[in-house]
This record gives sequence, C-alpha cells and structure tokens, in this order.
Amino acid sequence: MPIGNVHPSVRPAQAGRTDGAAGSAPHRGVGRPRRARGLRSERLAPYILVAPAILIIVVMRLYPLLLGVNFSFTGDGDRNGMAVGLDNYLELFRAPLFRTALGNVGLLVLLLPVAVAIPGLLATFIYLRVPGHRVYRGVYFFPAVLSPVIVGGIFNLLLAFDGPLNAALGSVGIGAVDWLGDPDIAMFMVVGVHVWATFGMSLVVFLAGFATLDSALLDAARVDGASLPKVIWHVIIPGLSRTIQFVFVTTMIGMLTSMFGLLYVMTSGGPEGSTYLPEYYIWIQQGQMNRPALASAASTVLFVIMIVVGLLQIKLLKRAAREA
Amino acid sequence: MKQRAMWSAVLVVGLALAGCGSATGKDSSPGGSKGKLVVWDWKSGEPSAKAYLEKAKADFAKKHPDVTVEFVAQPFDQYYTLLGAAIQSGKGPDVILFNGGGQIRDRVDALVPLDEYVAEDKQRLAGWDAFTKESKIYASPVTLQGHPIYYNKALYAKAGLDPDSPATTWSKFLADCGAIAKAGAKCFALGNKEGAGIQFWLSGLGSGILTAQEYDNWIAGKRDWTSPNVKRVFQLWKEAGDAGLNNEGANSTAMFNDSFALFQSAKAAHVIGLMSDVGHWKDFSEFLTPEKLGVMDAPVVTPGTTPSLAYDGGIGYGVAKWTKDPKVSADLVRALTSTDALKSFYADAGAIASDTTIDVSQGGPAVTTLVSEIKGGKPALHVALSSKTLDLMGRLSQQLLGGSITVDEAVKQLAASDQAG
Repeated sequence: MPIGNVHPSVRPAQAGRTDGAAGSAPHRGVGRPRRARGLRSERLAPYILVAPAILIIVVMRLYPLLLGVNFSFTGDGDRNGMAVGLDNYLELFRAPLFRTALGNVGLLVLLLPVAVAIPGLLATFIYLRVPGHRVYRGVYFFPAVLSPVIVGGIFNLLLAFDGPLNAALGSVGIGAVDWLGDPDIAMFMVVGVHVWATFGMSLVVFLAGFATLDSALLDAARVDGASLPKVIWHVIIPGLSRTIQFVFVTTMIGMLTSMFGLLYVMTSGGPEGSTYLPEYYIWIQQGQMNRPALASAASTVLFVIMIVVGLLQIKLLKRAAREA
Repeated sequence: MKQRAMWSAVLVVGLALAGCGSATGKDSSPGGSKGKLVVWDWKSGEPSAKAYLEKAKADFAKKHPDVTVEFVAQPFDQYYTLLGAAIQSGKGPDVILFNGGGQIRDRVDALVPLDEYVAEDKQRLAGWDAFTKESKIYASPVTLQGHPIYYNKALYAKAGLDPDSPATTWSKFLADCGAIAKAGAKCFALGNKEGAGIQFWLSGLGSGILTAQEYDNWIAGKRDWTSPNVKRVFQLWKEAGDAGLNNEGANSTAMFNDSFALFQSAKAAHVIGLMSDVGHWKDFSEFLTPEKLGVMDAPVVTPGTTPSLAYDGGIGYGVAKWTKDPKVSADLVRALTSTDALKSFYADAGAIASDTTIDVSQGGPAVTTLVSEIKGGKPALHVALSSKTLDLMGRLSQQLLGGSITVDEAVKQLAASDQAG
C-alpha cells in the first residue's frame, strides 16, 4: 500500500547539519562514550526532525480514522457504545438508499471520460486558435471561481419547472421537462452542472500541457496533410498522455468528494432519493437521523471505495506510462 | 505484502472486537463556566427576535443578576449536525433550542427532565406534548407549530365561490377546485422537493380522514397501517397529484419558499402552511392582506369525523445534561417562555406563541381563527413519526407523485419502517 509509506526517503545523517554541535564533539579526545553518544544523537536526529510531521499525521489523521472505523462497529441510540459487530454494515447494504448512493458512484465513474473529454476538446480548440480563443479561455474558466452554492442556485432557477429553459423549449413546441424532479434525469443534470462548474480548472491544466507539446510535430502533420481528427488522435493525444492521466485522477477525486454542495442546493438527494451520494448519505445519517455510528460505517465504506479507486487508477496510469 | 495483509487483518479484527468506543459521548462533562450560561438557537440573529430576547434576558437578570447569558445563533441548516457534534463531545451549550417532535425525542439522552422546574407554567402554556417523552418534559414550548389550510379569498371570489364559506366536505372541495382551475389557478401550492409536502398533507388533512379513535391511537403510538383510512391519506395524495390539483413540478419545487411564493402570488388557491416561523399568515401578509387570507378546516373525507387544527409545540428550550446547575438553566428557560417575552415574539415575528393568554385580535381574521381553534386542536399526525420514517415518507411521496410506486406498496414500507422504529 503506497499510501502507508510515511518513512522519509531522505538520507538521515550528515546531510543538512548546520549547528555542528553533536558532530564536533569527538575531537576533544574524551574517547568512546562521548563518541557513542554523538553517534546516538546523530542516529536520533532524523527521527526527531520528522517527529512533528509524523505526530501531526498520526494525531490528526490516523487516529481519527481508526476512531471512525472503531465507531462503525458500535451501536446508535440505546446501544450507544456497545459492540454490535457488523450490524451497521449489514444495515447499510440492506438500505436501498445507500445502494442507490453506491450506484451513483458507479455512474460517476462511467461519466468520467465525458468529464475529461469536454475540457480536453475545448482546450484543443483554444490551442488551435479558433477565432475568439482568447475570449473563450476566460469565459470557460469563469465558472470555476463560483462557489457550488451559487452555481446550484443559478441552475435551480434555470432548471425550475416554470423556469427559462422550459420556457425556451415550450416556445419551440417541446413539452416541459421536470429537470430536477424526474428521478431518471436529475442525477445527470447535477453531474452536468458539476462538470460545467469545474471544467475550467482541467482546461487550464490541459492548456499547460499544450505548452509542452512539440509544435514541430503538429506542423509536420499539417504539412503531410493530416485532417483535424487525425491530428488530435495521432499527435495531440499521445503527446498529452501525462496531462490526460493527471486530469483523470483530479476529476475523479473532484467528483467523488466535492459534489455535496451542489446536491444539497439542487436536489437535497431527491427526487425519490435518486441523487444520493455516499457523502450526502453520511451527512443525513449523522446530522438529521442522529445515527453517528451508522454514518461512521458509511464513511468507512466510502474510504475503502476511494482507496480501491485510487489504487486502480495508479495501477492503470503506471501501466499507461510504461506503454507510452 | 503478506505481512502487511496480516497486519491489516489484525487491525480490522481488533477494531471490530474492541467496539469499545462510542459514536456518541457517554460521559458528560460540565459545559459553560460558572456565572455564564450559553444558549444555542437559530433565532437570536434575527431582528424580529430582538425584543423577545431582551425581555427574556431582563426577566432572568432579576432572578440571577450575577449570571450572564450568551446567545449563540447557529445556521439552521447545520443546527442538528453541530448539536450532534456537541452532544458527542459531551460539552456544549447549557440551554438548547429544539424543534418539537422527533428532533428533541431523539436526543433526550443529552437533556435534563424539566418537570419539577416548570410545573407552574403547565397551565399557562400549550404544546407540551411535542417536548415530552415517556411522560417526562424535556423542553418548554415557545411557539406553537401547526398545519392550517390557508386559502386565498380573492381567488375564491374570482372563481365565483363564497370566500366566507369554504368547502367542508371533500367532494365539495374537489368541485371548488374545478371552479378555481377554470379561473386559471391551481388548487394546491405544493413544494415536495424536500419531501416535506406529504407531512403537511398528512397533518393538514388527517383530521378529516382518520376517525377520532384512529387519530388518538396514532398519536399514542398504536398506528394501524392496515386501516383503510390511513391508506386513504396516501390515496388522496396520489389522486390530487394525478388530477393536476397541485402546481406542476411539485417534486422539484422547494416548500421553503417557492411553494409559499406560488400561493402568495395567487397561482394557487390553497396551501397547507405553518403557524409560526415561516410560511404563515404574517409571511403571506406582504401580498395577501388580512382580508384576503382565510383559514379553513380540513374537508371531511370520512363521514363522521370532526376536523380539528393540527398543532404541536413548535420550538422550545431544553436544558443540557452537562450544565452546572440545572435549576439556573431552567430559570432561564422559564424567562424565555414568560408571557411578556412571548408577547413580543408574537408581535414581531408573527409566531403563534405557546402562551394562549396573549391577545391576537389585531392580527386579522386568519390569526383569530387559528388561535380560537387551538383549544380543540390535536397534535399533528406526522410529528408522532420518527425522523427515519418521515425521511422514507418523503421519498415515497415523491414516488407516488411520479407514479413509480403503488399506494399499497408505499403504505407497506411505511408500516415496516414505523414498526421497526
């Protein structure tokens, strides 16, 4: 498990000593004990130096994590503090709502390529200098500076049943759609809005990637008469493989961890519970249902999912990097 | 790798077997320092509560001049999450504002029973039931919260109906809705995005659907989910949706405050609203002047029922278990529910206060009707349900409107959830 590797990779002794106190002791010729003590302090120094960092990780990260896992094996309410074994986990996997939430995580993973392709394609157009590309660069980035609450509020108004989108559809003779009230559509709307609100960041990363792209290759392809799709497929995508990998990972993390605000504002998990995600479920159980232990169990499950998804991605990326 | 796997296994098994922590703090340690009481609420930041709090503070200072009181206004969205964290750590405010019903009953482990301290107030104030669990009182009611059916008298007149005699039976009500539809308005303004619409429906119309015996049994916890009348509540909900009595897109319309806005702007003739806080007579008065706003009884669905106003204690103050001196904290609760203080809360915030001796005749016909019905009122049906069942009911109600579940199946799931809790 790579994430468990907390040992510093720097070489301990010699390097970086500035005071010289411990190291300069032996020359007084006091002999072995002194030298041994000097060596010992030399050996301890690196541990002392990394101790604050490790302490912070242990106290602020690992301990609460373990405590949360521990809580997930205890009961709620009347059974507060009692060991209940796997009861919470069994309840979770029996709860249709939690299963919906997990299903939605799967949906997010499936929609990931779309969420990466959109900024990639738009960045390509900007790089290829379509007319007005400077304006687009600013416009595309603009939503990234808005808070999810504001974005959610804007789209709540736009997508309301009697809102402007339905009015526009109505004027061309298409019936109104309950964008946020139809359980088959709502999740896609929320994901769509999330992508709209966040793709600006990925776009910037892509543009940075383009800056490293060898323009001689592009020119050569053009001279040889390659069409735009061919240029994208054979020159741009291979040249940007590292960037694409990076955007994949960051977009996935963004989707799994920062959609709470949008969900909260746009759908409150509804309609019919169709837009629940694990983090929203955790919040509801802890805050509204007063079930902290069950929420701990759900958090643990989410944590495991994140580890698995993260490890899979690292593995895939490593393989892709080897092939590249 | 093998060793790592083994260590992880040991860790997991150890944690599972240990199970020694607890997700909610078991021990309570003292909260606010001596000579200072901390109150948590979501009201004290509002200008309309200013006079109320000042009067309450002055009243408390008379009894305990050496104790200072600090009000901490929390955002309501986060209130119970923050409170949950405080309870977990066994530290926090001395006096806590609660919503009546499930929100306080789920948390009585963290509260002091107030029976001995508030005995003198029992007659003067109404709405104790919502703050009582296993016949112990855990908070004193400040406001009453109920679910009257408000109607727009101007729309009634426009539709050719008599604004002063709204329908008393369901069939007449449906006929009136037909006339209102012809006049270009919907019958109900409904916001069910949060799944709260069904709660208002159940409590607003329940007294005309359940027999008196069924109603009392329901409140007492003996809920018969197989009763045809209980099923009818959900049947009518579905029928109203299918017949187009509600505004369109009810499942994506927020109750607060989009559905109330629909009612205020005369796009719908009725709304099952609230008595206090928001969505009530004073809120509507910006657009619906007192003479345009009416309050009606639930139409009789099941012959022989007597409709009554559904109300409970709305919000109330409780005392945390970890407070230094429960007596002093209870005195603060009593100051917060004194007649004087409540009078300003009624006048400024438009809340129907728990103190029924307050004169409301200046507020217009709707509020006078409301207060006159408090005597014959009964606890609201949905307040008796656990928050888990209410959450489920919200989702099922959306499914009923969307047509992806039958009434039978919905009632079956609710029965299972209710009986499990």
